[in-house]
Amino acid sequence: MLWSVLVFNLTGTVKIPPSSAMNPTSPPPAARRPARRLWLWGILATPLLLLLLLGAGVASLFHLGSDVRALRNELIKSRGGEWRQQIALNAGRLTLYAVRVGLAGVRLDPGARAALQSIQTAGVGVYQLASGTPPPDRAAMLAAADSAMTARGWERVVGVLDGHDLVAVYMPEKNVSVHHLKCCVLVFDGKEMVLVSVQGNPQPILTYALNRTDSRQAKFK
Amino acid sequence: MKTMLRYPLAVAILAAGVSFNVLAGPPPGQVDFGKFTPPGDGGQFVEVQINSNLLSLAARTVEKQQPDAARLLRGVQLVRVNVIGLTDENRAEMTKRVQRIRHDLDAQGWDHNVTVQEKNGEDVGIYTKTRGGEALAGLAITVIDPKEQVVLINIVGDIRPEQVAALGEKLDIKPLKDVGAALKDAASKDAAPKEEAPKKAAPKN
Repeated sequence: MLWSVLVFNLTGTVKIPPSSAMNPTSPPPAARRPARRLWLWGILATPLLLLLLLGAGVASLFHLGSDVRALRNELIKSRGGEWRQQIALNAGRLTLYAVRVGLAGVRLDPGARAALQSIQTAGVGVYQLASGTPPPDRAAMLAAADSAMTARGWERVVGVLDGHDLVAVYMPEKNVSVHHLKCCVLVFDGKEMVLVSVQGNPQPILTYALNRTDSRQAKFK
Repeated sequence: MKTMLRYPLAVAILAAGVSFNVLAGPPPGQVDFGKFTPPGDGGQFVEVQINSNLLSLAARTVEKQQPDAARLLRGVQLVRVNVIGLTDENRAEMTKRVQRIRHDLDAQGWDHNVTVQEKNGEDVGIYTKTRGGEALAGLAITVIDPKEQVVLINIVGDIRPEQVAALGEKLDIKPLKDVGAALKDAASKDAAPKEEAPKKAAPKN
């Protein structure tokens, strides 16, 4: 606080005002008040800021990523009908890191732990077709999904239409790396549509899957 | 002077790159099956396309645990599988389209290795394209099952028909596994009479 009452001149030397020289321990009340206010504001603003950050964090949990949103919007726009959102959850890096740390000491199924280690970000949206709405044409849904994702630099790796079911898996056309794999999945069973986006490192889950296959094969030999 | 030289050089490199890309075109083992429309009435439709990016990623992932599988995946540049369910509406059109694809493959110099015609009408054609006489550049498999579906498979890279099932296992693609198993069965059926009568003419290769 003392620096607030010091006056620096251009040469860098410090001049102490006459009043301070007379009573150096008690600066004038006029100069002390703004500093006190600043502290007061700081004390008040910090929890508010933390609360805002927490609010933004919680809100982001229910805010899907841009790719899934684009896919959802295109599907709903092109097929019309009334869709009811059942779930929209999004877990970012920080959330999943916190979950990993939180579950570090908990005894988990090795598969679940490997999956948790693999996923860096994940988003899930579940939408239900309102009752009475005629089921949309799945081929047209696939075409709409293709156009939305292709425009964003994704390509369809898998597309399956069977009975009432539709499954499509998209991956980025470029920048596919083993440590940073992105994937977007669309599943529709005639009533419910599930959109999933995952980003992560598939190595832990694949290692687990391969080890499991090896141990199974060894058991049968 | 240097600046003057630099620009034409850059333009020439760029032009060479562009023309090389244009001339390069698709790899020799790639077949353009074209676009397919899913059948109506809830008919089956499967489309899988795995490019070199994902294949090399898969190879890198299994490298430590399964080096043989990694080698197999490294030899492949593209895997495309199409399964189109047949309905009364599309049966004639799809059959005709597959016949045309086979005709085009013959015309483009693909080797027609095997034709299997089962009693139930199932018709399987296996084509290979070689590069430099020895290594395979691609494999194309066409299956017409007139009652159920049409299956088209194109694998670009150095892979033999007998490795199709293994590739299907590694990539977990059911139609590839099914066709691979059918090819193995056909090969074992072919091999059985050959053991009894070795002088019999070998199938066209």
